[in-house]
Amino acid sequence: MQRNYLKYSSLLLSLLMLMTACEEEKSIIPAAKTELQNDVIKRTLGPNVVGLNIEFAYAMALAPERGKLVSAQVEASIPGAGGTYLETKTYSTNGSGEDVGIVVGESLPTEGKITKVNFTKDTSASTLRYYYVIPEAARGQEVTFDFTATSSTGETVTYKMGPYKIAKMDMKLDMTVTDSVASYISIADMAVYSAAEAATKADKIDLVYLYRSIPGVTFNHALVSPGADKQYLPNVTLPAGVNKVSKVRKAWNIRDFHLARLQYGVYIDDLDFEKLDLTESANYAINMRAESGAWVETADSKYRAYIYVNSVNNNGKSARISIKRYAL
Amino acid sequence: MVKYSKIAIALLLALVVWVGCTPEFPVDEDGLLITERAECYVSNFELLGPDFQTVRTKNAEIDTVAQTINVEVFYGTDLRNLYPQFSLVTDAKLDPKITGKVDFSDRVNPKTYTVVSGNRKVRKPYTVNITVQKP
Repeated sequence: MQRNYLKYSSLLLSLLMLMTACEEEKSIIPAAKTELQNDVIKRTLGPNVVGLNIEFAYAMALAPERGKLVSAQVEASIPGAGGTYLETKTYSTNGSGEDVGIVVGESLPTEGKITKVNFTKDTSASTLRYYYVIPEAARGQEVTFDFTATSSTGETVTYKMGPYKIAKMDMKLDMTVTDSVASYISIADMAVYSAAEAATKADKIDLVYLYRSIPGVTFNHALVSPGADKQYLPNVTLPAGVNKVSKVRKAWNIRDFHLARLQYGVYIDDLDFEKLDLTESANYAINMRAESGAWVETADSKYRAYIYVNSVNNNGKSARISIKRYAL
Repeated sequence: MVKYSKIAIALLLALVVWVGCTPEFPVDEDGLLITERAECYVSNFELLGPDFQTVRTKNAEIDTVAQTINVEVFYGTDLRNLYPQFSLVTDAKLDPKITGKVDFSDRVNPKTYTVVSGNRKVRKPYTVNITVQKP
């Protein structure tokens, strides 16, 4: 008797499971919103350095039967530097993967914090790109953005982005150093000087660039503190007073995206300089190769920097360097 | 039926007790397995600079009889900030441990590292002698 019950109940359970498994799920297609909506993505990566762009893509849309777009504007908490603009083109991607732009509006002159575009085409959906050139005033501060769109129905939507921390560090790209010609590097000035110029700015010279091809050793391109052991400054006559002892540590595989402009997604940020400890480091770096770099701390401990070697030229005894610098 | 169950449970219990009493493999103070191996030598030696690139001009000369490692480094190598890397025979370990950069600038008193065999019974000190390439 008991066995029968067990049989029936398991049969019923199996049937129930079969039914549940075979039942077709009803998919629900959500009704599209018709009111004005917006969304923003930030397109740039890495630290926000003064002078560089922060790029956003601002999308806005409403149902075509409901109305059209009238204007779009961005308000930055700190006015952007010259060159800040909201693009008047909306982009689509063609079959070759290229962005093709169509002009949909006219930009109004940027007034203080506000950058605005009025739509001139009859459009109900658009994505505009916004380029914010980071101003000097924003250094070390945070900046926020309010993206606002208005439609012909009188609706207004706003999307807040940020806050984004603006880095304290400075950057200078593509300085050419040439042995005996322009070989004195000042981190304080972010500049390269000749021996005659260095003599007038002796207290600002942190490194000497030199190229030597010495038989039996690998010396080649070098960044040496003026106050380093003379064996690392062969045949170099320093201008009077140029004698600082900067700390230098060689680095490899740190191809900062901003400095190198290569495909590597590596960024040096303020934090790297803050955590950098060069107390036991040497005061010279010899055999510097292209795509290598050197961490530097000035003798007065006012600045820390990363010098990236973009390229070297053995025949010309020269190199192209780019610097990121952080004031302590 | 009950009888069978009792036997099965008794067997299971016996198995658990047996497994529980099996001696564990011995480990040393670092939690590393102590094995039967008595071999004790350095098979390879690497020396990296502050940029984590090699500073050797050629392969290090490892003398397992004299227990020395002779390595020549590039001219201008900063001997105070180097990262040594030892490859040891299977199951051996190094004493002292290398936890970061090492100062090799005192060449009068070269650094010594002891290789400890897998059975932890053989200890062989290796002296690292560094010479700098000269022009």
